[in-house]
Amino acid sequence: MIPIENFLLLSALLFAIGFYGVLARRSAILILMSVELMLAAVSINFIAFAAYMDPEAFTGLIFALFVIAIAAAEVGLALGIVLRVFRERRSSMVDDASSLKW
Amino acid sequence: MTHNYGLLAPEFILFGFAMLVVAVDTFRSQFKVGSAVLAATAGVGALAALGASVAMAGVHEEFGEILVVDEFTTFFRILFAATVVVVIAMSHEFVGKHIRHPGEFYSLLLLSTIGATFMAAARELLTAYIAIEVLSFSLYVAVSLAKTDPRSGEAGLKYVLLGGVASAMLLYGLSLLYGSGGSTSYEVLREAFAEQAGEASALTLVGLAMVIGGLAFKASAVPFHMWTPDAYEGAPLPITAYLSATSKAATFALLLRLLSGPLEPLIEDWRWMLATLSVATMVVGNLVALQQHNIKRLLAYSSIGQVGFMLMALVALSDQSTSALLLHLSGYLITNLAVFTAVIAFYNRTGREEIEDFRGLAETQPYLAVVITAGLFSLSGMPLLAGFATKFLLFQAAASGGYLWLSGLAVVMSTISLYYYLQVVKQMYFFEPSGDASRWRLTPSGYVLTAVLLVVMVIVGLYFGPLYEVADTAAGALFA
Amino acid sequence: MQERTALPPQFDRPIMLGGLLAGAVATPLLVVLVALRVVGLISSPEVVFWMAFGVVLAGALGTVMLSNIVHAALALVFTLLGIAAIYLLLGQEFLALAQVLVYGGGVTILIVFGLMLTNATEDPIVSDGAQKPFAFGVGILLALVFAVALLGHHWPAVGPAVISGAEFGERLFGEYTLAILTVGVLLDIALSGALLIARPDSPEESAE
Repeated sequence: MIPIENFLLLSALLFAIGFYGVLARRSAILILMSVELMLAAVSINFIAFAAYMDPEAFTGLIFALFVIAIAAAEVGLALGIVLRVFRERRSSMVDDASSLKW
Repeated sequence: MTHNYGLLAPEFILFGFAMLVVAVDTFRSQFKVGSAVLAATAGVGALAALGASVAMAGVHEEFGEILVVDEFTTFFRILFAATVVVVIAMSHEFVGKHIRHPGEFYSLLLLSTIGATFMAAARELLTAYIAIEVLSFSLYVAVSLAKTDPRSGEAGLKYVLLGGVASAMLLYGLSLLYGSGGSTSYEVLREAFAEQAGEASALTLVGLAMVIGGLAFKASAVPFHMWTPDAYEGAPLPITAYLSATSKAATFALLLRLLSGPLEPLIEDWRWMLATLSVATMVVGNLVALQQHNIKRLLAYSSIGQVGFMLMALVALSDQSTSALLLHLSGYLITNLAVFTAVIAFYNRTGREEIEDFRGLAETQPYLAVVITAGLFSLSGMPLLAGFATKFLLFQAAASGGYLWLSGLAVVMSTISLYYYLQVVKQMYFFEPSGDASRWRLTPSGYVLTAVLLVVMVIVGLYFGPLYEVADTAAGALFA
Repeated sequence: MQERTALPPQFDRPIMLGGLLAGAVATPLLVVLVALRVVGLISSPEVVFWMAFGVVLAGALGTVMLSNIVHAALALVFTLLGIAAIYLLLGQEFLALAQVLVYGGGVTILIVFGLMLTNATEDPIVSDGAQKPFAFGVGILLALVFAVALLGHHWPAVGPAVISGAEFGERLFGEYTLAILTVGVLLDIALSGALLIARPDSPEESAE
């Protein structure tokens, strides 16, 4: 039997790594990939909680399934926008997109 | 398990008409009809949904474990449906000139309203999350829809990336709350957290902080507001109006449900978080607004400042402050839509959006100048207009909830906001028109829409009793 | 005798190096795990768990640290497939399957397509922002906060429950029918939106 702490540790580390990626990366696609890491951490959490703590209702499993579906849709949508911006200015770097001032 | 799908009639109507609009758009070129028919279809759909929502007033029924249709839901349903009617009405001319995919534009507006309504109606975390994403996704697409304007794609990119991060944060927070409370149902969570009251575990606190952070992003509270000015500036103007109205109101609806329901036992733990957000938001929003020279960015920062005021009502959460918040939200929506309708009419004529371009508008189009002035005065909280009455009640509610210092700060910030609103008014009234000084006319629909909104604004300002009662009933459903 | 096909030059060194490095790190760890198993300190599922743990984290670190954007995307695949293994260890076969299909298949291909359609093939090396040290600090801080919050909690010492696919489906399509309908709306928005935004407008269209 694997204690639940192991899974939670993995999800905590994965989320932190993803967040680091979001802050440190400049390419839109790499930021998107880092967000995927964060969402994967979320799914691990939900599934672990459902399997260990909530086996009768297991809403966490259903939650994880929807997170997977929505995250995939988000990648598609975000890549569409990246492609458009790339076509307009030949770059997918976030800070090259700077005609909007703070 | 059977559910009463009749409870969701307005949403099914919205969905059906959204599909119909796309279908009509597909066959439009064969029948040689303009995009007016799309606006008309979408408008009929939104009006039908509005009618259905009004007809369902007073219903109090649960839809399985996941939604509840009560007075609170109905209040926001009507608010969102009315907003979408106005946005469709204001955008027709703009869409004809600047949007290449009018069918999708209108269907997105209708579909996103479904998401907004479910945010107000959810009684369970999963449904709430899906509803948030339906609204957010529509907005990501809508913001990037002005394909002739490169700023639009850029704004969309920033919005979708930051929005994705915020969603991940929110989700991680939700997963921690689920782990700590053992369920996603608001009721069960409330019981679980009631046991933890006063001595919440670190798990709950971290989850709480992340949920509030994620939702603060959606409501564009400082320091999670970075996307707001860019998205406002890059988005097509009617979408900017929609962002400032429905997106904010829906987030507050969700926050109200969460904070008055499952998170209510933890009030001492989140109160200071929201108070900090509220102070930061009203100070930063109003001070940065002083330096703006683009009307969209000015309105973006002014709306951030308004969010700061609205957060105050959550800090002093009570039956009374919720009623005041609902009233203020409705007043703010009406006012904001009036200002945006006028700005869109101006943009359609001139194609410009800098504040300096409003120079001499009182000469060339005095009626529009009056509408914009009234709207801006109402936003700053001048008497006789909607903004004064609703702001007064909001500040009073915060003060009587024990947050006198917060309402004091809000009054100061409100005064500062008057200064930058007056800058726009000054341009319109005290300068000669810089270019073409000939008078011009609005479209008939422009006259009608602005007149209606202006009248409603004045009525709410002078005689807000009935609206307040409706808001009070809605708030009562939360605190029953 | 067929001549050996030359690999594209950009694949040569990093891949060989990466393989050697991974082998050098993974072999001792594997030996340790097996030794612990033989001694009886950990159970067999735990051996598998720590292996998956290593793959997931190594992939994640690769995703956020490799400077070649294509390599980063490949590292992401390791993470996503490792996570499928984690789901299996949690007893959720259906979700593991969904993870492999949606992520291992769909999302990965989508991202690689995205890379190919932007300039990643000509110029795959990306530099990171100047805020890197700050990001590093925030990452460490987050990891610590989460680890303390999650591990400090008192968890019941039970094993994971296996939930059968039939039960899962019944609840999914019973209580959550409306959620599925709503997600349908969401997918419609996302896909038609992506199409609308990414499609280049032909001149005829803009003249219309």
